[in-house]
Amino acid sequence: MGSQYTNQDHMKRLVDYRDAREFHLRKDRAKRDKRISLQEAVSEYIQDGDIFAETGFSYVRSPIQAYLEMVRQKKKDLIAIGSPMSNTSYLMAFGVVKALHLSYIGVEMRGNDKNFARCIKSKQAELLSIWSHGSMALGFKAAQLGAPFIASKQLIGTDMIKKNPFVKVIDNPVSADNSQVALIPALFPDVCIIHAQKADRYGNAVIEGPAINDIALAAACRKVIITAERIVPEMTIRENSTGTIPFWYVDAVVDLPYGALPGSCPGHYYWHREWWEWLVRIGTPDLDALNDFFDYWVFSTKDQFDFIEKLGGARFINTARQQMEAAQANVDDSLVNFDYQEVIPKRD
Amino acid sequence: MSNVAPANPLEMIAYNLSNAIEDGQIVYVGTGLPMVGGILAKKTHAPNITLVYESGGQDPLEGDMPWSVGCPFTFRKSPMSMEMAISFGQCALGYVDIAFQGGAQIDMYGNVNTSVIGSYENLKSILPGSGGGNDIGSLTEKSVLVGLQTPDRFPEKVDFVTTPGYLDGGDTREKAGLLGGPSAVVTQCGVFDFEPVSKRMRIKRLNPGMTVEIAQACTGFELLVPENIEFVEPPSDEVLRILREVVDPRKVFTKFPPG
Repeated sequence: MGSQYTNQDHMKRLVDYRDAREFHLRKDRAKRDKRISLQEAVSEYIQDGDIFAETGFSYVRSPIQAYLEMVRQKKKDLIAIGSPMSNTSYLMAFGVVKALHLSYIGVEMRGNDKNFARCIKSKQAELLSIWSHGSMALGFKAAQLGAPFIASKQLIGTDMIKKNPFVKVIDNPVSADNSQVALIPALFPDVCIIHAQKADRYGNAVIEGPAINDIALAAACRKVIITAERIVPEMTIRENSTGTIPFWYVDAVVDLPYGALPGSCPGHYYWHREWWEWLVRIGTPDLDALNDFFDYWVFSTKDQFDFIEKLGGARFINTARQQMEAAQANVDDSLVNFDYQEVIPKRD
Repeated sequence: MSNVAPANPLEMIAYNLSNAIEDGQIVYVGTGLPMVGGILAKKTHAPNITLVYESGGQDPLEGDMPWSVGCPFTFRKSPMSMEMAISFGQCALGYVDIAFQGGAQIDMYGNVNTSVIGSYENLKSILPGSGGGNDIGSLTEKSVLVGLQTPDRFPEKVDFVTTPGYLDGGDTREKAGLLGGPSAVVTQCGVFDFEPVSKRMRIKRLNPGMTVEIAQACTGFELLVPENIEFVEPPSDEVLRILREVVDPRKVFTKFPPG
């Protein structure tokens, strides 16, 4: 595993529960209005060199508009972690991420992300450790539970364990079944951005649909930014007791409707499927194509509203809203058609 | 004569995957053909199965083919969603009966590589990584491996063990302290299992028209061959109709040739 861009301090900080605890002890407890703009939040709380955790499920309730703002602000030298972490691919291409703790980068069956391979092969970014989704999820969960590690049955017997300096395999010392267990340390990234359907101005946040690792990450990370689909009155969250992230974990709240586009946001909008196929099938095969792709989608847009115009404006938003409502069985299926033209690039 | 076109190789894989599922089971579904197989089973011989997904969706209402394991169709009016760590925990707890796993390489002991061709130090190509594959394959009672069978993709030993099968064969998996294990492999050639003592891959049933010689030619190691070769009963016209019209009408995962 690489050591070109990172040093042992980064590796220690990821699993240093005392350091994370000290950081949390020093955090501002005030229940105050934490709303700031996306530009301010990214500028202030994402610092070059931070260990940065991806949230959501790559293209499901992920704060993608915030990631694009990180690219615009030319953030650099971050160390990425997350399960999954498909957005880390383009963050590597633009120098935002220099090193990563890998679980999964890809868009499932939609094609190979050739940019990921290019960044690793050219040593533009380096791999620090190799994980499965579930083992990394247990590392975040251990952090949330305040447990220094969790013993599990994952990773044992594989080559991943040889590429993971954090996980130790021992014989189970507490059970009659003394077979091997993997000790997965609590993982403490420096910062994450979480896109929540609802948050109040103080940072109490509500996640609807799959939470993936985000409740654990909000507890584990030293710094937390919430981008919210809706800023709601505090009483809305109190009435239903649906909050899963408390305000004292949260450093900044950003009012960011459509912040998960071009991914999906349960309860609000379905993803733009073609965009992901454009990205992997047209954008990633070579660097020029990726630069062109980002010139169009990121460097010539300033916010999510410019981005939406390029996706098709109000018509796209209406379709995406209807599709999510139909997929969640909130409107009659017959109102919505899920047909679409798969993106198949012409081959020479 | 039936005027329904026979199953293409991907449809045969989906059909064989669906037949690996028994009615009443709780099924952990991954992306691609396993999704097709799981939904086909539910719409044919196994209406009482419960589908659970890695992104957290549990027991969704039936709907359109999910585009991804994070698609809202994987949590369509599901009574609850589970956090990722907890959703995988069910496999270890014994609440999941069967799961599926694809890979770039599958070896003679059912070890799966989804990490790297070559090595991380000497890369030929880099693959997306484990995702939930290792978790499912380490913890679930039965896992069914799925892939297109070629000598490169079915080598004697995978370049990198991402998901443990029977490791070096025999009792090495059990001794390592892993739970469950692979029960079958489904490819365009047919269905394979693992010989109980050596844990080597063995022909169980070949697809119609397939021969031992063709299956062997698609494999980078020596397949174990039973004395009497059994063949998969081809899917009925009704099953093919359900697969084509109801389960994957847009041929997201069953178009052949793909792409």
